[in-house]
Amino acid sequence: MRLSPDQFWTYFEWLFVHSALFYGFLLVLVLAVLGFLIGFVVALLKHGPAEGFLQVSKLIGELFVVDIPGTSIRRVGAIARLAVKEAIRKKVLVVVAVFVVAIMFAGWYLDQQAQFPARLYISFVLTFTNYMVLVLGLFLSCFSLPSDIKSKIIYTIVTKPVRPTELFLGRVLGFTAVGTLVLLLLGSMSYLFVVRGVIHEHEAIEISSDGVSGKTSRQQFHSHEFVLDETGNGVTNETKGHKHVVSKVGDKIVVGPSIGDLEARVPIYGMMRFTGRDGQVANDGLNVGYMSEYHKYIEGDSLCSAIWTFKGVSRDSFSEGGLTYDMTISAFRTYKGDIVTPVGGEVRFRSVDGSAVTEPFPFKVKEFQVDQRSIPFTGLKGSLNEQPAELDFFKDIAKNGEFEVVIRCQDRNQYLGMAAGDLYFRAEPQAFWWNFIKGYISIWLQMVIVICFGVMFSTFLSGPVAIIATLSVIVLGFFGFFVDDIVKNADSDVGPVASLIRIPLQSGSGTQLDLGNIPLERTIRVVDKGILICVQTLSKAIPNLNQLHTADFVAYGVNLFGGLLSRHLTVCAGYFLMTGIISYFFLKTREMAA
Amino acid sequence: MATTTASTTPPVSVTDPTNVIVETRNLGKIYRDFWGRKKVNALKSLDIEVRRGEIFGLLGPNGSGKSTTIKLMLGLLFPTSGRAFVFGKDATDVAKNERIGYLPEESYLYKFLNAEETLDFYGRLFDMPANVRRERTEQLIQMVGLQRARRRQLKEYSKGMTRRIGLAQALINEPEFLVLDEPTTGLDPIGTREMKDLILRLREQGKTILLCSHQLADVQDVCDRVAILHQGELKELGRVDSLLKVQDVTQIHAKGLDEKTKLEIKELIARSTGEMLRMDNPTTTMEELFLDIVRESDQRPGRRGSGA
Repeated sequence: MRLSPDQFWTYFEWLFVHSALFYGFLLVLVLAVLGFLIGFVVALLKHGPAEGFLQVSKLIGELFVVDIPGTSIRRVGAIARLAVKEAIRKKVLVVVAVFVVAIMFAGWYLDQQAQFPARLYISFVLTFTNYMVLVLGLFLSCFSLPSDIKSKIIYTIVTKPVRPTELFLGRVLGFTAVGTLVLLLLGSMSYLFVVRGVIHEHEAIEISSDGVSGKTSRQQFHSHEFVLDETGNGVTNETKGHKHVVSKVGDKIVVGPSIGDLEARVPIYGMMRFTGRDGQVANDGLNVGYMSEYHKYIEGDSLCSAIWTFKGVSRDSFSEGGLTYDMTISAFRTYKGDIVTPVGGEVRFRSVDGSAVTEPFPFKVKEFQVDQRSIPFTGLKGSLNEQPAELDFFKDIAKNGEFEVVIRCQDRNQYLGMAAGDLYFRAEPQAFWWNFIKGYISIWLQMVIVICFGVMFSTFLSGPVAIIATLSVIVLGFFGFFVDDIVKNADSDVGPVASLIRIPLQSGSGTQLDLGNIPLERTIRVVDKGILICVQTLSKAIPNLNQLHTADFVAYGVNLFGGLLSRHLTVCAGYFLMTGIISYFFLKTREMAA
Repeated sequence: MATTTASTTPPVSVTDPTNVIVETRNLGKIYRDFWGRKKVNALKSLDIEVRRGEIFGLLGPNGSGKSTTIKLMLGLLFPTSGRAFVFGKDATDVAKNERIGYLPEESYLYKFLNAEETLDFYGRLFDMPANVRRERTEQLIQMVGLQRARRRQLKEYSKGMTRRIGLAQALINEPEFLVLDEPTTGLDPIGTREMKDLILRLREQGKTILLCSHQLADVQDVCDRVAILHQGELKELGRVDSLLKVQDVTQIHAKGLDEKTKLEIKELIARSTGEMLRMDNPTTTMEELFLDIVRESDQRPGRRGSGA
């Protein structure tokens, strides 16, 4: 699982520091102006400029003066109740049955010998539920209104004092209620499936003659080894992503329940920067030429370093055991040397003003796994104001909760690769069930967005066409980042028109387009740029469902940050508003009997 | 039992502008295709008024513009030219719907709901509180005679029952103005008679009714005024009694005349400038005959007709 730095911004950082609020207002403004212009052009063709302008202005005025204030909760509730009844009586709960069948036979197609079974199970149920609920939302929302219009039932609705706002709200709320009910059922079953699939017990067997070490019985395709300390307590080795607490009770060695597989670690992330070979601040780490640009590298035995700045860290967030932190550092070797010995590095903790700094803690890179470490709160060897001293972490280093962590590579000509999310402190973990619920809230938010779009499209398209339109939103929502990549990486010679011309010319995209006609080439570049800008703008109006897909957080046992969830909630509310306003204008200007 | 006869005088002043419930001014509708090309000129410059307390009939053959007129009045369509006002407000104003009841040509209702749920749903759309909804639902179910089918889903209803529940939903808000599109379609003669009686009772309660029907006899029986449309144009508008009156023919109904007196009457007409057109015994209508037989059958079950 890879986290991007933006994922651990707090809600207010996202809203104000990173200008989400500003861009939100900008988007509203652009859409409002665009909407007014389109409406005006349509009205102009029908009624002429003066009357057209008046009609559009009146329409906008009615939304704020008449229809929003006149919206009745009872009417919205009536339409929502109807949507629920319709869905239930049309046997929408069959989705639940399909899900039950799917998880009943999950053992057939899920690898029970997987290295991380909990991760596999959680990922499976969350992803499966996600797609099922989105498909459910798609079908519920796209067919209802067109079906009412086709069967003319809408005649008996809109001839009552029902406002377009109520038609939209009622349907969205009704379908959301149905989806929520289905999601609750699926979520409960998923939770049972995961917990029952993961929880297991071992017995201590093959105990050594001194009674301090041994092996557990084999359960669910694995067993553990353990060593007890002098107090008779210990922890097994980690297998299949979990450990067990082992303790001696009387003469008997008892193996406790598993720990580490169903958890919600609470990572505290910091912002990252690099220093270059000269020890000066560099914008980025080194690029070793890997295809992945996620990791940036620091060179061994040089002044290169990666520095994380943490803020708002307090003693209360940690247990008595000390300051625990996880690292996922990768290594890049420029020579093989001793292939068995891992590349080495060191980590130091220091105050922001540099007055207090610990001695380096050396480490050897554990590639492709989480390196879990901890340091005590007090008695840390280091220097204070350049004098050797024993440091108290929160008193000397993390003044006001702010401190830095510096990582360097020790081995000459070897490199350590890392990203911002590769070092974090672990606060007291949250309950797994709550993280599981948060994962489902993310699915719920995606479902609401799909329902909003489905209802919006169904206000002016027929059922099947609305399905295709909403499906396009879902597909672009999950894979829209391709569009971003294309636009970001496209220079002026690989746009759609240039690419089209390259096909018959058999010209590769790595070369400059050479048609022997400079004005023509320039025109093609301008057209391509225009097309790509349009595509990118369009892609921004489509929800990035991929960002809202948080199954990995739950599966990898990382607490889904409240800030991230709040952001998703805000994004969902934004799309709800946008689709609501668009639906209003379509419902208001549509002839229901045409 | 109530008898079906049209009232001779509307109960309100026709000159008072506040008594105009519906007014159309130069109302026109052209249906266009996707590309904006003209398909049908469905309604041309319609100017009519429906006055408070009257039963107004819209007559015309298929495609004459009756349904288009109703849809324009209800805001289901937007006019191409002119305007329609209901209660003095533009026909597209949602607020007017508070005072309107509408029974469409076919009862377009949710088939998965039962009668109670249907009325409760439409009651909610009028923002009626729960106790009022319950009371109105009970009254209307009694009124349309669906007590025994109140919990059955509408998909199990016969066409007549569907019409009844359709009418009930149109009356849920005790509307001042009722729009009935082909209200007797699908009803048997008894149902048709009951519907006509009900329409008259509603008029007596002070409601204004706009009725659109192919059944000319129904229109004649209940309407005060009619507008006859053909090919989207208004061809005739006026009171039913004056439109149907044959000015130069005199009709005398008498009972217990002997043959001698009948002969004297014929001679009297022959002596005057008049012309004897017909003198015979009147016949009842098929509707009256059918209703008499059903009533008698209800009172004396088991008795069979002798045949002729």
